[in-house]
Amino acid sequence: MDTNIVDYKKERLVYYKVLVGLLLLTAVTFIQPHLFMEESTFMAQMLIALIKAWLIIMYYMHLKGDTLIGTMGIFSLIIVATFFIIVIGFDVANFQFGDESYITGPTSAGVESAAPTHH
Amino acid sequence: MSHEYVPEIAVDREGNEYKVQGWQDDFYGGKLGFWLFMFTEVLMFGAMFMALAYYNHLHPQEFIEASASLNRLLGGINTVILLVSALTMGLSLLKMRAGDVKGSKLMIWATIVLALAFLGIKAVEWTAEYNHGIFLMHGEMLPESGMSFGKKLFFGMYFTMTGIHGFHIIIGIGIMLWLLKRINAGKVRPDHHILHWNIALYWDIVHLIWVFVFPYYYMIGAGGATGGH
Repeated sequence: MDTNIVDYKKERLVYYKVLVGLLLLTAVTFIQPHLFMEESTFMAQMLIALIKAWLIIMYYMHLKGDTLIGTMGIFSLIIVATFFIIVIGFDVANFQFGDESYITGPTSAGVESAAPTHH
Repeated sequence: MSHEYVPEIAVDREGNEYKVQGWQDDFYGGKLGFWLFMFTEVLMFGAMFMALAYYNHLHPQEFIEASASLNRLLGGINTVILLVSALTMGLSLLKMRAGDVKGSKLMIWATIVLALAFLGIKAVEWTAEYNHGIFLMHGEMLPESGMSFGKKLFFGMYFTMTGIHGFHIIIGIGIMLWLLKRINAGKVRPDHHILHWNIALYWDIVHLIWVFVFPYYYMIGAGGATGGH
């Protein structure tokens, strides 16, 4: 993207259009638990967040048309996914001290108490 | 201390002087370097999200119950505030590039005000949670308290991640004030705005992180304490 060429009105219009899109998606975030995918709120919320993130990255962070940084980003995400999800995920799944750990042990998972009140 | 660029001079055997190429106007290099920095931010928050996902996998019901107890109204207002602040910061950069320096500065001030409003609301929220005995190493969060371990993990991660995010907001306010100083000094101009560009990118990454923090903490329990996960 050549930053020296500025089409002020056109670029401003893009900013406002993205703002409207993000506001609409934020509204969807609030009504989703009562409107659709009620049994998969987590998945629905993350899906909406991904769409919002895509809009921000492409238009507010000006990554649209920037092939070098875009490719670098995808490459970095692949590295992160490889290490965090595959390598650490495999390690966690085969954690040999799971029963003895304070976090994963059955004693920590079994304790129940009252939920904190809404404030 | 002066930050003026002093070109390096190379001298050949005959004593002729040559100005060594400086990189002060390498716009793309500056942008690329800042993106590399932002990837380290993504790595840091990514690791915290992975830990959160793992704890969520271990204690799904407690996470939903804990999420349902957070104040979604205040969290939602903060979401909209950050969203609008991303627009004002983007417009400030656009105005700078278009030569409207005064308008650009006005938009930066608007972003700072919105950032302060975000911090103010976050402070109100944290205070209410503290008064309910929910805070790091306090009241219900103490190891000997009756709160279930899953909820302690949820709130522990909540205060850590929103705290680090809030710290990024404070840093953002600081560097925006610095940017205003550089603009007033004529160091950031319509024809030399890489600092402005990168600070706008920083503000966008702060917004981007919140885009995931908000639904993960505030919304997963919105479907009711027994479902929605």
